[in-house]
Amino acid sequence: MYWDNAATTWPKPPEVALAVGQALRRYGANPGRAGHRMAMATAEEVYACRQEVAEFFGLDNPAGVIFTPNCTAALNTVIQGILGQGGRVIVSDLEHNAVVRPLWALPGAPRWDTASWCPNDQELVERFRRLIRPDTRMILCTHASNVFGVTLPIRKLGKLAHDHGLLFCVDAAQTAGVLPIDMKADHVDYLCVASHKGLYAPMGTGLLLCRERDKVPSLLQGGTGSYSLQPEQPQDLPDRLESGTPNVPGIIGLRAGLSFVKKKERQRIYRHEIRCLQQVYDRLYGHPVIRLYGARPDVEVTAPVLSLNVGEIPSEQVGQMLDAHHVAVRAGLHCAPWAHRRFDTLNQGTVRLAPSAFTTESEAEQISKLFLQIAEKSLH
Amino acid sequence: MANYYIHVGSITNAMRGKRLLEERGIRAYLHRSTRPAETDGCGYHLLVTETPGRAEEILRKAGVRVIRISEAI
Repeated sequence: MYWDNAATTWPKPPEVALAVGQALRRYGANPGRAGHRMAMATAEEVYACRQEVAEFFGLDNPAGVIFTPNCTAALNTVIQGILGQGGRVIVSDLEHNAVVRPLWALPGAPRWDTASWCPNDQELVERFRRLIRPDTRMILCTHASNVFGVTLPIRKLGKLAHDHGLLFCVDAAQTAGVLPIDMKADHVDYLCVASHKGLYAPMGTGLLLCRERDKVPSLLQGGTGSYSLQPEQPQDLPDRLESGTPNVPGIIGLRAGLSFVKKKERQRIYRHEIRCLQQVYDRLYGHPVIRLYGARPDVEVTAPVLSLNVGEIPSEQVGQMLDAHHVAVRAGLHCAPWAHRRFDTLNQGTVRLAPSAFTTESEAEQISKLFLQIAEKSLH
Repeated sequence: MANYYIHVGSITNAMRGKRLLEERGIRAYLHRSTRPAETDGCGYHLLVTETPGRAEEILRKAGVRVIRISEAI
């Protein structure tokens, strides 16, 4: 049983594996570098993926879809690119190390202000608003905690940012393909995506979607197949932010993963995942030694992630016990120490359950039983 | 009637430009530039089979960079 889908979804849909195989067999040329048939056919595939991704996330211009190796690379591009030029950023206290560490690495750090998460959206937006200073340049926040599943009201925060002339960047690692995101309606300037999670793409694929109110400079310079006599990096997107050979099998796999999500319907997958977690939550709720964190999983309230602990047993140890039963979960701090500090779980970490479109109700029942067994043993 | 090359630089500009033009009834053929400009170097162009004024306007309005236009000989 695989419950570690918040780290990366598995299994991937069969059509993704098929598309990756086909990419290796049929689209083996480097796109955007040559004019021969296979190079052009490969470039068509890559562009088709850009178009579909842009449409899915409400981005007008497919050229604003940047393929990255992962969500961390997308976040680094925005953080170092925009904030490297100066200014402050407001973040939440649920951010992943993919945000925290690039912020720490900025010259003159700390240059961030932290709004503490609370379940009341209005109050949370007010907390962000109170932190705006004359030199604030951007609001950057996770859409949902990767540990506790609690969400942030990105549409309201985006509006707040734009009303104050600030840029708005969203870390959608846990939510892209799961929760609704419309960059235009949500006022998002930069959307950072882990395609290998909710979009069911192969690992090694991420996305940075840019609406470009402010130009992000390139962190990596090099060959793009265009403007090759110019020593400076091309300014057109995606070339400015996509130097070097792209991960074509990953991109073609991403397109297949996105098609899978669209065919199954994002909302239905989300509801299914929440139902699986509700089943576990309801079976374990009220047990004297099992601690469930956050609210009961629910649609439009949480991302499909549930954290828990059994007594005082270290979370990593519970993870090992489950592994002995061939159950894969993530335990520990989930690269998000700020979130653990916020929920007071820094010492023990948590065991995290994250279902996918392929998780079954029977698996939800089985894992609940295993937690109850571990809990019972801990009492004796 | 003369054909024209609209030089747009990157493959993404070319793909996007081709679709934009064809959506508006202008047939466009995408090619790798065989004679890279001395100022820019290699890249891609769109071949159109009509005077390029309307095509250029469509591309520029959509934010597709038009580097230069030359007559296809």
